[in-house]
Amino acid sequence: MAAKLNVSESSESDSPNLSNLSACSRTGSRSLRVAEKERRKNGAEEPFVLALKYFSNVEAGTPVIGNDEFERNMVLVEQVAYFKGLSPEAISVMLEFAMSSRMGTNPCVRVLKCLIPTTMVPQEAVVRGVAWLGVGKIPISSQVLFIKWVLTIFDMIDAKDQLRAIYGFIFSFVTEESLCPFICHLLYLLTRKESVRVFRVRKLLDLQSKLGRQPFLSHLLSLYKVLCPELVTLSIPSRMRSGFRNHNSPWKSALIAVQKSNGSQTDSSTSLPLTIKEKTSLRKRKHKHLELPVLSSQVNKQPQTEPFTSRKVVPLAQLHSLSQLLENMHCIELPAQMGSLLGSSLALQYLDCVQDESALLRLNFWLGYALNEEFFFCGDGGGSQTSEEALQFLDKLLSSQQFLQEGFSSTEAFLYKFLSVWDGSLFRPQILSLLSNIPVVPNSQIGQLLFEPLMQLFFTSSLFFRCGLMECLNNMLLKWLTWHSVYALEDDLDISLNSHTSINMTLSGFKDSVMELIHFAGRLGSVGLQLEGCHSLLLSFILDFYETVCDTFLKYGLPLVVMPPPGVFYPALFAPDPVSVDRLVNIMYRYKVNLTSAKSKEKVTEQAFHISRQTFREFNHYIVVMVNCLWNSKMFQPDMGIQLGEELLLKSNIPEYWASFDLVHHPAFLSYAVDFHQRCWPGKKVLDLNSIKHSKPWTWYLEFLNSQGYDGLKQVVPAP
Amino acid sequence: MEQLSNSLARTPLNSVVVKRRSKTKSFRQSYRSCLGLTPALTARRLSKSRKAPKSHYITEKVNPEHLALLLKSEWKLSYVTPLYQFRHTQLKSYSRQLSAFIAAEKQQGFAVEVDGSQSNFRVSFSVVQGMTETEDDAETVLIQIHSKPLFAKQSEAQRSVWSGWLTCVNGNSDYLCSLPKDFICLPLFGSSGSEVLTTLVQSWFQKMFDCCFGPLEMNNTCLQWLAALWTNCHPESSIQHLKMIWTLPVVPPLQITYTVNPKDAWKLWSSVRKDPCEENKEEEGVSIDIEDVMRFMQGLKSHFYRHFRLDLSAGCLKQVSTALGSATFSGRVKISNSQYILSTLTLLTECALFKMPV
Repeated sequence: MAAKLNVSESSESDSPNLSNLSACSRTGSRSLRVAEKERRKNGAEEPFVLALKYFSNVEAGTPVIGNDEFERNMVLVEQVAYFKGLSPEAISVMLEFAMSSRMGTNPCVRVLKCLIPTTMVPQEAVVRGVAWLGVGKIPISSQVLFIKWVLTIFDMIDAKDQLRAIYGFIFSFVTEESLCPFICHLLYLLTRKESVRVFRVRKLLDLQSKLGRQPFLSHLLSLYKVLCPELVTLSIPSRMRSGFRNHNSPWKSALIAVQKSNGSQTDSSTSLPLTIKEKTSLRKRKHKHLELPVLSSQVNKQPQTEPFTSRKVVPLAQLHSLSQLLENMHCIELPAQMGSLLGSSLALQYLDCVQDESALLRLNFWLGYALNEEFFFCGDGGGSQTSEEALQFLDKLLSSQQFLQEGFSSTEAFLYKFLSVWDGSLFRPQILSLLSNIPVVPNSQIGQLLFEPLMQLFFTSSLFFRCGLMECLNNMLLKWLTWHSVYALEDDLDISLNSHTSINMTLSGFKDSVMELIHFAGRLGSVGLQLEGCHSLLLSFILDFYETVCDTFLKYGLPLVVMPPPGVFYPALFAPDPVSVDRLVNIMYRYKVNLTSAKSKEKVTEQAFHISRQTFREFNHYIVVMVNCLWNSKMFQPDMGIQLGEELLLKSNIPEYWASFDLVHHPAFLSYAVDFHQRCWPGKKVLDLNSIKHSKPWTWYLEFLNSQGYDGLKQVVPAP
Repeated sequence: MEQLSNSLARTPLNSVVVKRRSKTKSFRQSYRSCLGLTPALTARRLSKSRKAPKSHYITEKVNPEHLALLLKSEWKLSYVTPLYQFRHTQLKSYSRQLSAFIAAEKQQGFAVEVDGSQSNFRVSFSVVQGMTETEDDAETVLIQIHSKPLFAKQSEAQRSVWSGWLTCVNGNSDYLCSLPKDFICLPLFGSSGSEVLTTLVQSWFQKMFDCCFGPLEMNNTCLQWLAALWTNCHPESSIQHLKMIWTLPVVPPLQITYTVNPKDAWKLWSSVRKDPCEENKEEEGVSIDIEDVMRFMQGLKSHFYRHFRLDLSAGCLKQVSTALGSATFSGRVKISNSQYILSTLTLLTECALFKMPV
């Protein structure tokens, strides 16, 4: 189709705008000849080209009635239009023909109805069409049809800058009563902040007082309010919130058909992102503090920002995609109510990169207010009926915090207060997740703010709370360690955290807090395991925690190694499930790797940290116990941690008690040993597990265990 | 609430001047903790001791018209979080914008020009000079809304239909100083007039200054303080009666109105005062401790118990009133005597600051 560009050649003389489109035809007669040849080649399309030529050249005043030539060409164009749509050039020609009323006003409607674009519509054609409106030859009904057509194909117009440039001209048509609704819609689509002026506001208000409360006026005005709240104010009732009506009925089916046959997916439905609050399905509440404010632009401008001198700003409410956000990054205006940011991920993206203290404080005031009102002050609200909303609110808060990867300070303040009155079950998952987001608490306050209330809750709550709390502490530790590693990197290994904290925290202060947290979890873990009879679920959460702890040095660069307390180590070592034992062995292996690398680093750098002897001693002790117990069958040796009286052990009547926790007899691995025994000696009737301990079967047995997925065991004592 | 304030009172945080970020813009605020941001966790609790109300010659400091207005009506109290970019110099423009806002809200779907003068509601903002006690206090702002009744004659003048104010008297200076300078803290909001207008004004403030309004109830401690403070003024200006309303949690609920003769109240009050002002007399202010207040209330309660065998400690104090003013649990306050207005507002400011979320 591109070859037919030259048809607009003829209209070039009177329409310089259009000629831009057909730039290639400007090269004169030579290209014309080439095009002529081309045209001959695909003769099938020639009649259509001729038809277009007819419409672009037809003289003013040619009669329509009884004009067979017109009829023939018109039918041809219609056929092409409905079959595969019109090219941009064809649209230009036909629109120009229709709007100029060269053959009277009759064909206008017919032409407009068949203006189905294939791909896009040249802006210039639309601008010229609008310009013809001013001439006043066209009947109102056709004018309306034209604007409706523009609205329908609005998204297919290739650019909008020139249309915006004639905003004032388009605006002048609002006084035309029957055009007004459609003009308002078009203006709505074109309005920019700079197009909102006092005189336009006055004109619209004037119309409003004449026509009454019309949705189209209200919607345009509400956009004006979003852009310039200092000029106009308006509140839209809920029943009027439907937006503009679609006017695409004359073209809809044809457009869809053409797009289908072309396989293009241009979405021409002009959906309007009205900045109006969504109607909540929830019933009206007495207290509205959990409602997110609407994202709206700021009314209260700085006094110095005069409309003419100020730099251009874009309200956040006007942005709908990340690319828009990035384009306008330098000139974004924060919304009137910072609480509204919580509802939009786009806004959160922005909040993440602005470091505006006041903005954050505003957000925190609102958030803290909402949380306080909901959980402390609203005693009369009746918890059950509001819990659904509170749940949604907390979930939203959580997802925002997870998005930002940090907690808000008002959430933190709220949690410290809330922990002392919490029953441990109200919104447990949410509260614990929020808790795991809190920043590092200074050593001096951590006990009173966190540990005391949590300890009370831990001892008085169910197993599930205990597991949840261990998970929460693990996540908290992970966050703290991650922050540490990020900052240590950012500051070029200047490990003093002084500069970025509002609380005065040094590396040693940070280490103290982390150590307190680990010890606290260790205490809870030990006592919890006792209370729950070494419940394997709880044990699993505790081991999760120590999987984080054992790698603090290598993974997070924190020079700190804290061993688990005996209350955690032994229950895990003697656990009846092989997974726990294997995980413990793996944890001990990671401790070993961390400690050796710390030691070697200590030697190299000298000035580096110092890990206390006590830690090494504890580690060595645990390793000895573990290896003696699992591999060497030497339980209850006098120098081991666990000592029992000789007589007592004899009294128990357990034969070879020293071997009862080796890898063969350990309750966790017994079934594997039996299984192995059967595979190894299928004929044997008598089960003799001790035979596994001979050197050859022992190697096979260890390999067998490895093949079952217990890699931890392999790492401590590699198979010989 | 009580439990809460206790737990807060234990917090050993020092409210030193907050160290704010200075170095680079590249780091994120991850390590920022509420512990360092504001002295919020400690600063906001009710004082354990306060100066006895002096009879201020407030009539000399404050515009008598304004003062009369403050004393005229009963106020419904709310707390307000700090106002972002509120300027006392912009009151004229606020008046215009609020009246346009009210007009727009009243006729839903009808746009209103902000500078238009056609509005049925005339709003005026004004500063009440002379209400501040310290340098950190922001000046009190008075808002009045005038309107014509719906079926009024043309000639009829507009009447005041709503009034309200925002104030801060003797606000905790640690807290006030910790706020960045584009925040103005006027934590106490009183309103009198139709609920609808109150809601409209509040939502306008919320949109305009990004603040939040919450109801300010007056807990037992606060009401007891008021009872004691007012009784303490008796020799200078008669309280005429000390009336308290208690509710007891029994079925059916029992409400008790307990009225005390002013002389008896004063006698009881002077008897429970620790050292009846001997040594402090020369000093400017006489301070009252919370222990005095508690002993005073205990005296009143045990007197009641002796007569009716009902222990009021089991109940809840709902209302206190004297000739100097009255206050209810639900947060309605009337101040009838201009001399003690500032000390009452100081107490109420404290209560409001106590509710601040950050």
